[in-house]
Amino acid sequence: MSKPPTWRVALVFALLAAVPFVPGVSRYHLLLAFDALLFGAIAMSLDLLIGYTGLVSFGHAAFYGLGAYATAVLLERGVLSVWACLAFALVVVGLYALVVSYFATARRGIYFALLTLIFAEVVYTFFRYTQTFGGSDGIQGLPDASVWPGVLIDTPTRKYYLVLAYLLGAWVVCRRVVTSHFGRVLVAIRENEDRARFLGYNVQRYKMGACMISALLTGLGGAIYPIRAAFATPDLMVWTESGEFIISVMIGGLGTLVGPVIGGAFFTLLRDKVSSVVDWYFLVIGAVLVVIVLFMPRGLLGLRRLVRLRRGRLPA
Amino acid sequence: MDYLVAVLLPQLLHGLVFGAALGLLALGLTVIFGLLGVMNFAHGELFMLGAYAGLGVIGATGSFWLALLAAPLLVGMVAAVTEIATLRPIYHREPLYGLILTFGLALVFREGVRQLWGGDMRRILPPFPGSTPLLGMLYPDYRLFLLAASAVVLLAIWLFFTRTRAGIIVRAAVQDAEMLDGLGVNVRRVFTLTFAASGALAALAGLLLAPVFTVYPQMGVEMILLAFIVVILGGMGSLGGSVAAAFIIGVAQSLFSLWMNPQRVAIAIFGIMIIVLIVRPRGLYGREGVLE
Repeated sequence: MSKPPTWRVALVFALLAAVPFVPGVSRYHLLLAFDALLFGAIAMSLDLLIGYTGLVSFGHAAFYGLGAYATAVLLERGVLSVWACLAFALVVVGLYALVVSYFATARRGIYFALLTLIFAEVVYTFFRYTQTFGGSDGIQGLPDASVWPGVLIDTPTRKYYLVLAYLLGAWVVCRRVVTSHFGRVLVAIRENEDRARFLGYNVQRYKMGACMISALLTGLGGAIYPIRAAFATPDLMVWTESGEFIISVMIGGLGTLVGPVIGGAFFTLLRDKVSSVVDWYFLVIGAVLVVIVLFMPRGLLGLRRLVRLRRGRLPA
Repeated sequence: MDYLVAVLLPQLLHGLVFGAALGLLALGLTVIFGLLGVMNFAHGELFMLGAYAGLGVIGATGSFWLALLAAPLLVGMVAAVTEIATLRPIYHREPLYGLILTFGLALVFREGVRQLWGGDMRRILPPFPGSTPLLGMLYPDYRLFLLAASAVVLLAIWLFFTRTRAGIIVRAAVQDAEMLDGLGVNVRRVFTLTFAASGALAALAGLLLAPVFTVYPQMGVEMILLAFIVVILGGMGSLGGSVAAAFIIGVAQSLFSLWMNPQRVAIAIFGIMIIVLIVRPRGLYGREGVLE
């Protein structure tokens, strides 16, 4: 958990902010970059659970999808303020996450993965078959949202800056969490739950806290998706989507925060390139996941760490 | 009375039939979880592979009965190879890796099958098409066979675990694999054989259910979610609990579908699980301190 220097982070964000000004960057590229950064930010939020707390959530797609539907419902009814959308998403996702995290953390270990999955599948079934929310078509053809009256988030550049702002916000929150006392307790729980309990920590409350933060960040990510895509469909919350978040975390390296951002972006670009060429890309993705678990459980960033370790620059 | 015989009774029997097959699936899942600490996300894909292996054998030989014998064997072998190649190296790691690994395996199996056989729905015809008069109604012979076959297999498993040395060794391994290793039992072999057996059971359930449902690459996904609910409801690691919960879910599902559309049924089943978890947080037969 070495702290990356602030100037380096600032540099990365400055470079990202400069992307729309690079000559030759098209509308398509910007929207692809939007997806990549959004996926990266969500993978980072999930890393709080998987990497730091040791809980695998197979239900993050539900937080994501609920956030998206919250925005879509407001936009559809003519409430265009992005702030209203985000606030509404926080409320909706927060209420749902409260119920899920209570049940899922009541028992230890594998229960968490199974219950988050089953809860998410019920939410998916509900939206998929409820005509009020458009059934399997979802809510389509949404208007552009606005930052304040008159300033619309309509161009790809503005949408790109929206996701960049979200990524920055999510990064600040995650960073704060993992460097705080709260974050250290989460790691303690991951390492040895019994010991953490005997030290007097209310383990379930900490797990619920981690789950809530991760869910709310993911819900916010979902809330900005319809602003880019102008739709929300039940496909956003199907459980393979949760699997893709996990894959992103694994590719990047769990417990690193930065890794999952890179993993998520990498995964999005890979999916965009590969799925247009071959239809067996899920076969490749599955195989990549197996290989990563078997041979490089610390992910891409972990690989770099290993190299540094060999050179003796990093204390083990 | 007419309603009872014409509607309620057949639906109840449907539920028992489905519950028995679900029990075969959930049992393998529970045993593997108890033994290896891995919640096998690829279990539904082994179920699906069973149906496709059956499809292949039937295509080659034309015999459903041969397929019923060969498909579990084939899938059992696939499971054994999978266990040795992928799960064995990661037993010493945290359980989350097993979860993620088997999720990857599920993707590989599902998409592999889609590439080999295509994504369309297929059917396996029941080996005997007739019906039998039963309690004043006509009930399909094949479903009765399905119920009987599942019941026989479940009974055989129960006898295996209670009456044979091998069964006692597996139960001992669930309790404390390290101690068993110290007593001179080849625990690795126990792991591999049990994984293969659970794969074969899933395949058997897949092929048995195939003539009642349809065969397609996603078929395992829907079943595995139900199987997870069954395992949680029954109590993690409790063999009897899994079977009991499988029958409860099977019957509930088919009775609910009399009054609700399928989506509401899915949500109602889920409601049952939540209520049970509130009243009995460890499931119906889960015991404190077991597998926690």
